[in-house]
Amino acid sequence: MKTQYEAKTLTLSEIPELNILNSAAFRDEARAALKEGLTTLDIDLSQTRLVDSSGLGALIALHKTMCARGGGIRILRPTPVVHQVMELTRLHRVFEIIQG
Amino acid sequence: MTMTLICPSDASEVPALARKRPLVLAPFLGRTVLEHALTALADGGVKTVRILASDRPEDIRRIVGRGEAWGMTVDIVPSSERACDGLDATPATEPVLMLDHLAQLPQQPLWRSYRGWYVAQQALLPALARQRVGMREVAPGVFVGLRSQVDTDAKVPGPCWIGDGVRIAARAVIGAGTIIEDGSYIDEGAEIVGSIVGPQTYVGRYTELRNSFAWGKDLLHLDTGSLAEVNDRFLLSEVRIKRNLARGLVNALRGGRARKPIARPDPNAAGLSQAGMRLKPMPGN
Repeated sequence: MKTQYEAKTLTLSEIPELNILNSAAFRDEARAALKEGLTTLDIDLSQTRLVDSSGLGALIALHKTMCARGGGIRILRPTPVVHQVMELTRLHRVFEIIQG
Repeated sequence: MTMTLICPSDASEVPALARKRPLVLAPFLGRTVLEHALTALADGGVKTVRILASDRPEDIRRIVGRGEAWGMTVDIVPSSERACDGLDATPATEPVLMLDHLAQLPQQPLWRSYRGWYVAQQALLPALARQRVGMREVAPGVFVGLRSQVDTDAKVPGPCWIGDGVRIAARAVIGAGTIIEDGSYIDEGAEIVGSIVGPQTYVGRYTELRNSFAWGKDLLHLDTGSLAEVNDRFLLSEVRIKRNLARGLVNALRGGRARKPIARPDPNAAGLSQAGMRLKPMPGN
C-alpha cells in the first residue's frame, strides 16, 4: 500500500485486495498513518480487484475514525466490482465516491 | 416436419451467461430459453426437433431429455463451433431456427447484451406468466407462482415476476421490473429494483440490487457487464435446503406439528393498490 500526503489529505493507493486476510492490517496501517491535522482520507481503490465484508468493515472503521477527528473519507475510482459490492451493501450512500 | 434448432455458442457479448452452462440454458422467466423455444414449437404442432449444439451438448441433454415433456422427439446433435455444422445433413426443406431470439419476440435479440436479454424477459413477462400453471396476478402486473410466500410487511409494487417456491421476508421491497426466479429467498429489508434474481438464490438482509442479475454468489451489472463474486454468504449466495428426512418421518409418525399460518395473497382484500400490496394472513392455513 502506498501512502501520500498532500496538504491536509492522506491518500492510500495500490490496494490490490481488501478482504478478511488483510483488512485488519490495512485498517491499522491507515490509522497509524493519520498524522495530526489531517482532515481528509482518500482511499484509491482503482486497483482493487476484490473486496469482502471484512474489507468494507475496515473502510467503515476508518470512516468513523475520520468523523471523530472532524474529517471525512473519500473513495476514489473504485473498480466496477468494488462499486457493485458497495451498492449491494448500500455503502455507496455512506461514503463519498469520486469517479474519474 | 422436423425443425432444426441451432444453439448459438458465441457468448462474446454476454460471457457471464455462458460461464456455467450453455447460453440457451440461461434462466428466462421460470424456465430456460431453450425450454421456452421448445414449448413454442410444440404449441405450433412440431413433433420432431433436431438441436445442433456445439457448447456442452450433454448439459442440454440433461434438461431436454428426449423431448418427452413436450410430446416431441428431440435429438441433440453435438457440432463444432461453426453454426452451420450439422446443417450439411439437414434436408433443404426442413426449417431451421437460430436460437438467438424467441419466436414470440423475433425483433429482440437475446445475446447481444445483458440488457437485451433482460428487456426480452420484461416484454414477454405478462404473456408467459399467464401461460404458467399456478401463477396468479395478485395485483396489476404482479405475478406470483406456486408455493411462494410474501410477508405481510413486504412491499411489492411491481410490475414483477415472483416464481415458484419463493420467499419474500418482512420489509423487503420488490420494485418495478424485478424477476425473482424459482426457489429464491429475499431476506428482510432487501430492496430489488429492475433486476433479476436467479433460481435458488439468497439475497441478504437489507441489501440492495439495482440493474443487476444476481445468481448464487455472482453479481452481474446488466449495463456494464461487470461480474463480481460475492464471497459473503450472508449478502448473496445459493439457497441450500437441508432436508432432514429422518426428522420429517418421525414428525409424520407422531401426527405432525402445528404449523404457523402462511400469509397468502388475498386478491379480494381491500387496500390492494398499484402503489403497494399488503397481504393478509389467510385463515385456516
